Parts: sequence; C-alpha cells; structure tokens
Amino acid sequence: MPSSMAADSRTPVNGAASETDGTIATRAHYAPPWADVSIIGIAGSSGSGKSTLSHAIVNKLNLPWVVILSMDSFYKSLDEESSRKAFRSEYDFDAPDAIDFDVLVDRLRDLKAGKRAEIPVYSFEKHARLERTTSIYSPHVLILEGIFALYDPRVLDLLDMKIFCEADGDTCLSRRILRDQRDRGRDIEGIIKQWFAFVKPNFEKYVDPQRKVADIIVPRGVENHVAMSMVVQFIQQKLLEKSTHHRAALTRLELEVQSERLSPRVTIMNQTSQMQGMNTIIHDIDTSSEDFIFYFDRLSALLVEQALNNIPFVPVEITTPQACTYAGLRPRGEVSAVIVLRGGATLEAGLHRCITDCKTGRMLIQSNVRTGEPELHYLVLPPDIHRHEAVLLLDAQMSSGGSALMAVQVLVDHGVRVDRIVLVTYSAGRMGLHRLTKVFPDISVVVGQVVPDIEERWVEKKYFRC
Amino acid sequence: MSNVKPAPTQCLGPVYRSESQKPTAAVSTGVEFDTVTILPQTPQLIALLSIIRDKSTQRGDFIFYSNRIIRLLVEEGLNHLPTVEHTVTTPVGRPYDGLSFQGKICGVSIMRAGEAMEQGLRECCRSVRIGKILIQRDEESAQPKLFYDKLPEDIADRWVLLLDPMLATGGSAIMAVDVLKARGVPEERILFLNVLASPQGIQNFATKFPKLRVVTAFVDQGLDEKNYIIPGLGDFGDRYYTM
Repeated sequence: MPSSMAADSRTPVNGAASETDGTIATRAHYAPPWADVSIIGIAGSSGSGKSTLSHAIVNKLNLPWVVILSMDSFYKSLDEESSRKAFRSEYDFDAPDAIDFDVLVDRLRDLKAGKRAEIPVYSFEKHARLERTTSIYSPHVLILEGIFALYDPRVLDLLDMKIFCEADGDTCLSRRILRDQRDRGRDIEGIIKQWFAFVKPNFEKYVDPQRKVADIIVPRGVENHVAMSMVVQFIQQKLLEKSTHHRAALTRLELEVQSERLSPRVTIMNQTSQMQGMNTIIHDIDTSSEDFIFYFDRLSALLVEQALNNIPFVPVEITTPQACTYAGLRPRGEVSAVIVLRGGATLEAGLHRCITDCKTGRMLIQSNVRTGEPELHYLVLPPDIHRHEAVLLLDAQMSSGGSALMAVQVLVDHGVRVDRIVLVTYSAGRMGLHRLTKVFPDISVVVGQVVPDIEERWVEKKYFRC
Repeated sequence: MSNVKPAPTQCLGPVYRSESQKPTAAVSTGVEFDTVTILPQTPQLIALLSIIRDKSTQRGDFIFYSNRIIRLLVEEGLNHLPTVEHTVTTPVGRPYDGLSFQGKICGVSIMRAGEAMEQGLRECCRSVRIGKILIQRDEESAQPKLFYDKLPEDIADRWVLLLDPMLATGGSAIMAVDVLKARGVPEERILFLNVLASPQGIQNFATKFPKLRVVTAFVDQGLDEKNYIIPGLGDFGDRYYTM
C-alpha cells in the first residue's frame, strides 16, 4: 500500500491564509497526523451487513476519532416528479445515479487534506437534503459505507482499503425489510416492490461487479470473525506506519533546527528576581497547593500581559478629564483565547485577570499512550474566531511541540491567520520552540521560561491536584 | 503653561515588526534619576493608560484597567527586594536552582487614592500588612498636613511599599516619607509605587530622597495652574470611588 504522506499537500482554508502562501517555500515540511486520514470503503448489497461491519470495526479498533460516513448522506435531492415516484416506491434509489458522487468526492478530498467537511443530511421521510449539515473534522480513520462505496474511480483513488461485503440474497431481503420498516418508515409492500423492481437488478448490474476492485471480500458479515480480525489488524498496521512517519518528520525538523537561534517572535519572560522567586516556589515539590496556585496565577497574569503586547494596536486620540488630548493606543479589534486542555486551563485565571470577558475556545489534545502522537478529541471555538484580530493560544507546558503544532494547525484550518496567533506557555523546550516556529514562522510565542528538554506535564497535575 | 513640555512619541510594538507596522503614541517623559524606574512603554501599557485617561471611561472600567496597571507596578517594585539563591527539587525530581524572597514587607497607602492600589498589592502579596496615612491640604496655609496614620508596629524592620497613584507636586508623598522615616524606616527600604507623575513631582521627590526608589508607569508632560497633572487622568480617587 503506497503511503500518501505528502508533506505539503495541505492547502489553507478559503480566505484563511493569503499571507502564509508567500512563506510556504521557506516553511519546514510538516504534515500533521490527521492530514493523512485512513479511509476504508465498505461496499456490498443492501442488507449485506455493511453498517454492522463498520460498527464492529469501530468497536474492535477502540480508537478515538473514528468516523463512519454513510453514503446515504449523499443521495441527491429529488425533483418534484422523482419525489412523487419515490413516495410510490417507484424511484430507483439503488442505481449509482441516485448518489451525488461529485459532492462525496469533494468532501472526501477535504477530509483527506485534514480540513473540516460539511456532510449533507438526507431525510428518507422527505426524500430531500435538509438545510443543516454535519461537520466532520480530522478523523484518524474514516469508514465510508454504502452500496456504491467502491463504484466511482475518484473515490477508489482516495481509499486505503476496499472491502466488499457478501451475503446470501434471502438474508439481504429479510434484513432490508426489517430495517426499512423500523428506520425509514416504509410499508412491507413498498419494500418488496422496490426490491424486485430496483434492488435486485441493480445489484447484478452495478453492485456485484465492485467485488473486482475490492481488497478483501467478507462473506457472512459480522459473523465472520477471521475476516474481521484481518481488517482490524490491517488498519492498525496502517496507523502505526503513519505514526512512525509522523514522528520521523518531527525528528527531521529537530535535526534541521538544533543549532539555530530562536525566532525573534519568541519572547522569553525577563528573568527578574520576582520571576525567579515565583518559579522557584512553583518548581518546589514541597510547595503547598495553595501557594502553588497563588503564584502560578500571579505569574500567568504576567504571561498574558506580555502576550498582549503582540496584538495589533491602532492610534487613538483621548480627551482627559483635564480637557487635554493624549495620543494613545487601543487594540485594533477583538482578542480571544483558545485553551489547549487540560494544561492550558491553568492559565485561565491569569487570562481573566487581564481580559475578564475574553471569548474562549477549548480543544482537548491528548498524546496517544502507545505512539506518543497528539490526537484531537474535542473542539469548540468561537464561531467568529477567523475575524478576531488576535487569538491567544494557551498551554501550560510545551516539550516536543507536537500538541502545539496540532493546536495551531486546527486554528489555521478554522481560518485564523498564523500571524494573529500568540502561543502563551509557562515553559517550553528549545526543540519544541524551534519546531513550532519553523513550521509556522509567523506565529508569536510568549514563554515563561525555557527548559532544557522534554518534561512530563507536571504543572497541570499540581494545579488541579490530580 | 510654560511648565508643560511636549510629550515624546514613539512607534510601539514587538521588535519583529517593522517601524511602519507599529502605531505611534505619546510615551513617558524621561527622567535623570537612577532611583526612578519607569515601566517599559509597551503598547499594552499605553493602551491601558489610554483607557483610564479617557474622560468617557466608566467607573467599572476605570477600576479594572487601573488595577491592571497597578499590578504591573507592584510586580516591578517587588523586583527591588532582596533575594538569596535557593535550590529546590521539582515535582519531576530534578534540582532547580532558583531564588527565595528575603525580608518582610508591608504596604502603606496615602489616603484616599492610595487605598485604590491596595487590591493590586494584595493580588501579588497575599495577607500583606497595610498601613494608612491621611494627609490633606491645610486650607489656611495651602500646605499638606498630616491628619492620621496607622502603621504596623514593626514597620522599622520591614520594607515599605508606599502607595499613591498620582504624584503632582510631591507635597503629600514627601510628607508621608517623612512620617515613615520618623518611625525608623530607612529611606533605602521604601519603594514608592505611582501610576502617573509630573516631571516636577519626580524632580522634587527624587532630589529630596536620593536613596528612595520610585516605580511609576508614566511621567506626564507637566502641571496646570491648579497643580493638576497634564494631560493627566483627572482625580484618581474620585474616578475610582465616587464618580
């Protein structure tokens, strides 16, 4: 299986980063892990157990961020005549023509590029696409299931694994009757009429031939444990390969930059005597929780004050109560923050001492215990974040830079310009700082102190006392 | 107004931005005394000062933003206190060569505006002792007069952070220092924390007490005929407490 690890295959979101375009040539190459989602296609006759197999794979894989995408979402909206036919069960839903492959290919390509994709929602009761869409964002593994999952050559190009589900025709029909009655509000007569008019002939004409392009043909669906384990093992192997590639890319970045000076956009807090004294209390294993939290909050307020020097200002003429004018400054626009959980939440008290009502997004990034690779588990951002003049990205500690890279990339994917991001962190290693500024040269960074090398995340443990 | 100098201006912003990318603003007048520290004129500090100077700023914002400046003053002031080297073990088991704070401190606020700085002091120094001094202008002589003081008993053994946000002529601040010195506090153990000063006030104060450290956020252009700081921010106490 050829690896699709194309280091610079990512393109900025629309309107997001015209400024960064110019710097792409000098940027270090780094592909975030999710830019390389594994897509698995599962095709097979209606009722052959595709979705049951998909769910079984998800359960067996036991990974966060595995998404099942049903091709049912990509049914075309019906015009009036077709719609009338559909309500009489005379419309052919089981021909490739009923599927909007163009939209499907677009969305799959977005996901493959690590971008967020808006998935249409199809109503079987109304036979139409609904206004709302479902957002899917950077999964590790995407399972595409549908009778025509292996039909369109453009889709086939994007698939890492092609599975064809096989089942006995009678089994298929009985499963279909049960499902359509239960989930799609149809009557038995209509279901049977559809089966013999469309489903069966279409199966022979379009569905069955897909077995020729499949990597694996799974007979008897979920009951087939051997096939299931093979599929799961294959996916796990594939993920391990990608993770190795990802970490190798990080190491390469490190070698490239070890000897260089830090970017001028990295501000390390002045090590004044108060700063050193507070750092000493914070680092002392014997410091009580009350003291730790007090001094950490005090220090984080100073970090945020420093970070706010990196936001854009504009001149403003002030009139004082003495009726004199003063040529001052004001922030050019809104400043918001994004907390990288859990560590970043330790800086929130400091943030609110400086901006009480700061809009705050949150994302949970966790390192995979097995691979050490960062994974995005949860994300909520202010909806207008791409319009904010500055976004403070808060995390307590940065060592390898893996999670910071991911966090910045997530913001970029949501339309935030890199030169508007200010990463604020209590401590960082030189390696992580180099990696981050090499990949995103326009980012500003404010660091409490530079620590020699990789350190476990002890600050959040001490701050939250668990 | 001959004693009002034009304000110096400067492009403000981080070093990595070019001059053309940095907005220009009026910054603090410089002073010639080594004992006087003016906070770094960062764009953020100027923006905070712009808010509290603005006559249309409401009291809630005035309190919040002046408090942010006061915290920066306290943080800077505390850097002048003594420390000793101190090595600790970190939660991940490595040794950390740091510093430990030395010397007991207390705050003394010059009533009423100085009391507005107590919250900022407490946010940096929990459970700090705070004394108070009330000085008012005598209506007959127009000279400052001591009305009241309540100070920690052991103040002579402490470092004193003297709080007054406005330093116009320096009359009451000078009197407050005299009170502290009479209680046995040596000049070199007093730190005067101030938001806005006039060049004349700094001149008077720093000449009178050559060993006393002053930390201020901004030295303004001068004084008007009523001895108000120009361009100033109005009456700090009124804006913080009653307006």
